[in-house]
Amino acid sequence: MATAAATLRHAQQPAAVRAWRWFRANVLFLYTGFAVLYLMLPVLVITLFSFNDPAGRSNFVWQGFTLDYWLDPLGVAGLGDAVVLSLEIAFLSTLVATILGTLIALALVRYGFRGRGATNMLIALPMATPEIVLGASLLTMFVAIGRPPFFPLSFFTILIAHIMFNISYVVVTVRARLAGFPRHLEEAAMDLGANEWTTFWKVTFPLIFPGIMAAALLAFSLSIDDFVITNFTSGKTQTFPMYIYAKSRIGIPVQVNVIGTLIFVIAVGSVLISTLAQRRDRAA
Amino acid sequence: MAEREQGVLGTPVTRRRMLQGSTLAGIAAFLAACGTSATSPSAEPTAAPTPASSAPPASTAPSPTQEPTPAQTPSAELNWANWTYYIDVDENDPNKHPTLDRFKEKHGTTVKYQEVVDDNDSFFGTIKDALRGGQDTGWDIVTLTDWMAIRLVRLGWLERFDKANMPNFTANLKDRFRSRSWDPGNDYAAPWQSGMTGLGYDEAVTGPLTSVKALFADDPRWRGKVEYLTEMRDTIGLTMISLGLDPAKPDRAGCDAAIGVLKAAQDAGIVRDVKGNSYAEDLKSGDAVLAMAWSGDMMQAVIEKEGLRFAIPDEGGIIWTDNCLIPKGAAHKFTAELAIDFYYDPENAADVELYVYYLSPVKGADEVMLQKVPEIKDDPIAFPPSEVQARLVDFGALSEDDEKYFNDQFASVLGVG
Amino acid sequence: MGAFLRRNRRLVPYLLLAPGLLWLLVFYVYPGFQMLITSFWSGSLEKGFTFSLDNWTNYTAALSRFQGYYVRSIGYSAAATILTFLIAYPLAYAIAFKGGRAKNLLLFLVVAPFFTSFLLRTISWKIILGDSGIVFGPLKDLGFLSEDFRVLATPVAVVSGLTYDFLPFMTLPIYVALEKVDKRLVEAAQDLYAGPWRRGGTIAGIVLGGGLGLLLGQIFGYWPPFLAVGGALAGAIIGALFISESFVRVTFPLSLPGVFAGSLLTFIPSMGDYINAEFLGNPDTRMIGNVIQNRFLTQTDYPTAAALSFILMAGMLAAVAVYARALGTEELTTGRV
Repeated sequence: MATAAATLRHAQQPAAVRAWRWFRANVLFLYTGFAVLYLMLPVLVITLFSFNDPAGRSNFVWQGFTLDYWLDPLGVAGLGDAVVLSLEIAFLSTLVATILGTLIALALVRYGFRGRGATNMLIALPMATPEIVLGASLLTMFVAIGRPPFFPLSFFTILIAHIMFNISYVVVTVRARLAGFPRHLEEAAMDLGANEWTTFWKVTFPLIFPGIMAAALLAFSLSIDDFVITNFTSGKTQTFPMYIYAKSRIGIPVQVNVIGTLIFVIAVGSVLISTLAQRRDRAA
Repeated sequence: MAEREQGVLGTPVTRRRMLQGSTLAGIAAFLAACGTSATSPSAEPTAAPTPASSAPPASTAPSPTQEPTPAQTPSAELNWANWTYYIDVDENDPNKHPTLDRFKEKHGTTVKYQEVVDDNDSFFGTIKDALRGGQDTGWDIVTLTDWMAIRLVRLGWLERFDKANMPNFTANLKDRFRSRSWDPGNDYAAPWQSGMTGLGYDEAVTGPLTSVKALFADDPRWRGKVEYLTEMRDTIGLTMISLGLDPAKPDRAGCDAAIGVLKAAQDAGIVRDVKGNSYAEDLKSGDAVLAMAWSGDMMQAVIEKEGLRFAIPDEGGIIWTDNCLIPKGAAHKFTAELAIDFYYDPENAADVELYVYYLSPVKGADEVMLQKVPEIKDDPIAFPPSEVQARLVDFGALSEDDEKYFNDQFASVLGVG
Repeated sequence: MGAFLRRNRRLVPYLLLAPGLLWLLVFYVYPGFQMLITSFWSGSLEKGFTFSLDNWTNYTAALSRFQGYYVRSIGYSAAATILTFLIAYPLAYAIAFKGGRAKNLLLFLVVAPFFTSFLLRTISWKIILGDSGIVFGPLKDLGFLSEDFRVLATPVAVVSGLTYDFLPFMTLPIYVALEKVDKRLVEAAQDLYAGPWRRGGTIAGIVLGGGLGLLLGQIFGYWPPFLAVGGALAGAIIGALFISESFVRVTFPLSLPGVFAGSLLTFIPSMGDYINAEFLGNPDTRMIGNVIQNRFLTQTDYPTAAALSFILMAGMLAAVAVYARALGTEELTTGRV
């Protein structure tokens, strides 16, 4: 009876109040929608302009729709090489940095050892150092050790730099995940007779794997996106961001937008696929 | 079962941790000190270049007596760093350069041509550490302006040309370049193009402009939409001209006066930005309507946007020359020499000229151009009339200390001083 | 292997740490000291550099000449951090508490823009915010804005660019912290402190909103009182109507470690940024990163550049140490339950 009366009262309230109530209840959803839109806006612009047909070299005024550049995405000299290089470096640096970083995170969370504070500082420092300082100091070092050409500025110097800055981010991300880890599962496994090695691979690792993947994802995107440090340590070798910077002076070819959009779509696609696959595994 | 969450950085910074940290730092300092001896500065500007390290078979280490080394073959690749809009371009495919393709047919070399030079200083920044360390910069030819070439010669960071490989260059270099004080034998720098710095503007917005003082005038038509160049000599040069000073004799007093005018214009809100090549983008997009501009850039910008114009001011403009240089330790020196020489053939030089519309240093190129495109003789940018040429001034050479002073003062115009 | 490990249990952490730490030692610490040595050089590229401890004056000279840039960078970075926080927190909250099945998707959407180059994104903002571009062109044509109005080449554009760039860095740590909050605590709090935080919210909103408005007005060069009033009004509305007391008393404090982490990950890289200032700003908005870049690459004035870099790094470290101490993240997370 009380509820019926309440419902009646509710329905009798003016539309404005009802609208306000609806708004208050859904404000977070609306906000999320706008936030996501804001985040995606530049990506949308990049995608939109990949279909543009500019008359000259500059691609910032919409002049007409065309699929030409999509059909010939690597048609610009140097672009293909730059993209391949970026992907190679991102993949390798992610691999190495994730391994090194996860090991450190494991040590920090699970073990007591001396030099803990110093270790924490050493890991936090690269994140606290502006990229420009990281890049410039690396460059001076590479050249200093360089006789005989031990570290020519090239693929390897970029790779070394990327691994270096990625380690810290991996450690922080994996640590956040590890901290809430249910140790009792491991203890249970060991009670049941598994040795430490088996426990790690069969119990611990699968559980922290999502955290490691999150860290790897972060490292990959940091690497593929890096400009400042790469600029200082690459000499002449061009990664994709450096290619863009060079071209931004005179006019970015439409193909760059195409590649940018492609990278985005592939990344989204692969995450979607892996999520669906996980869901199917769990259901099965 | 709350695990002891360590927070982001772990344990708080206590004195003990600081000490531990500094021990770590001390070890690193020791390592650094060991390495320092390897890095202690050794700028050995040598007059006679020492042989380059790790010379692959295709290139040659310059010998002091300049004997032509026998039986060299062009390499498969050549790496060339150049400015934008500085070479001929295929009409149908902006990535193809007909003259480079012809070079490939002739010698079999694929030229990796990259338009990565946006301004002399930032490009120098990418190669100087390799040069200081005696390493290959990765470039075989770099095209840089006179004053940067002077600096590189002074530092001994350029390969000396083997003239036996460069007959065209020896024969066809225009006379005005043959006795430059800093490269009297033309052994280190081969002029690529000369250009003019003047006014680039959108006539539809500003109306026709003829005075350099427009750049500093608070006119509502262009207030907040004016751009200056990051090239110190162009910007200070034009400013000195507006003050009635002579850029060919730059001194600190002139520098101070020019900087004063520039800062005043910036403070008055007249200036939008100070840029390298990208001023052309802003003129095209309308974000800027008046800029200090380079003649060749403007030729191409004019095609892309109606209403853009280029003019050398009545008071005068700046003329400058970019040079092809071979950095020390270049992997393909021989092929680089062949390439430079290739462009001293009037035919090839004319082909480039017909695209870039700068001023060619090659004898005979003008005649070939006129044969191919007779209408060009009336184009004021490609063939500036003599009264315009008379107004063009070369910015004078600066001593190392003066250069530092000028750059330091100019940093305040750039916003970083 | 297992036997070896069991016997030398104490070695295990060191073995785990060794490879990564070694990498950081060689490729971070050593170059860092190279940089320190460089800052005590005097001379020039052509004449050669010499090391001398007397050159500590490089530091004083650098500070006296360039201190304005540090101040400006701090201002821009602080503004960007606060703005990023304001945008990211509700987003993280929404995902953590209302995300449900869509959580991972939403998180991915937050991170997704990273899969395009940050240069391309900055240039996109240059297109979007262009004087006669997609946003302002129509507004100007319709007469809502004067022809002179522009966002590009002003501090607003630079701070907006910074804010946008670091949004994921702020959202993710806050999300992680919020997600770990025990939902039962929140329910209990909601039982205890039912309803919106009316009075406290309004006051806090006015103060914080007004303060932010003042700060932004100062940094952007707009008339501060105008922004302050606007900020106070917005703050009051949000505080009074949208914030619940349970949130303020329970959820927010528990999420502070995430806020702290996110703020650091935003403020610090933002201090060293120079791309946003270069593409979206003008000579009056250059940050300390631009100065350092100019000193290194254009002027080849290594000693000053290295000194500036070191001051920047030292400042960052000090700020981080103080912040960590003050916020006392340990206490907050050892669980009040």
